[in-house]
Amino acid sequence: MTAQGHPMLVELKNGETYNGHLVNCDTWMNIHLREVICTSKDGDRFWRMPECYIRGNTIKYLRVPDEVIDKVQEEKTRTDRKPPGGGGRGRGRGIDDGGARGRGRGGSVGKMVGNRGAGRGRG
Amino acid sequence: MFIFTLYKYKHGSSGRKETVLDLAKFVDKGVQVKLTGGRQVTGTLKGYDQLLNLVLDEAVESVRDHDDPLKTTDQTRRLGLIVCRGTAVMLVSPTDGTEEIANPFVQPEAV
Repeated sequence: MTAQGHPMLVELKNGETYNGHLVNCDTWMNIHLREVICTSKDGDRFWRMPECYIRGNTIKYLRVPDEVIDKVQEEKTRTDRKPPGGGGRGRGRGIDDGGARGRGRGGSVGKMVGNRGAGRGRG
Repeated sequence: MFIFTLYKYKHGSSGRKETVLDLAKFVDKGVQVKLTGGRQVTGTLKGYDQLLNLVLDEAVESVRDHDDPLKTTDQTRRLGLIVCRGTAVMLVSPTDGTEEIANPFVQPEAV
């Protein structure tokens, strides 16, 4: 992930914010931060903690530095350049598949029957 | 039995996927846990599972202000051995190295 190792701000639903360097995250948005500064909801108390784990569903929003956003866009254009050709071809194939599906199914049923027969034979 | 199973994880080493944080390094160390609803507990991590259910020993809850539940007071409540349900766990951090500090931001909200 692009933002890994970068500083970020995490605000929780309860209003506390956590500033730290992203170590890891997952598809649930669970986040592991290092060198964290925790700020209370009203912003008058602060804690320093070496690391913390934040459950994704408690997060209100994240703030990531602009340079990370730029990097993501860079990476996106790099990966987006390939799909136009591939995507077009994919769509074409999809239309073909519509016609071929009937044939395919017939074949697979035949295969399955054949397999079953073979299985019995072995048994 | 359930607690025993969680205890067992302390010694198990395999089969922990999809967790961002490896809690193994916190086992037998002091951890601070914030729970949904605002409770805050510190204790010694004795066990955990992939759902983030935690077993804390000698757990101490930081009692909150009656009028302003957002503020923790110095008052504490000794809970002993507890199981924190994973779905209620909001935040886990080691107590070691955690301290209250003065405003570290020259201007607030600077990333």
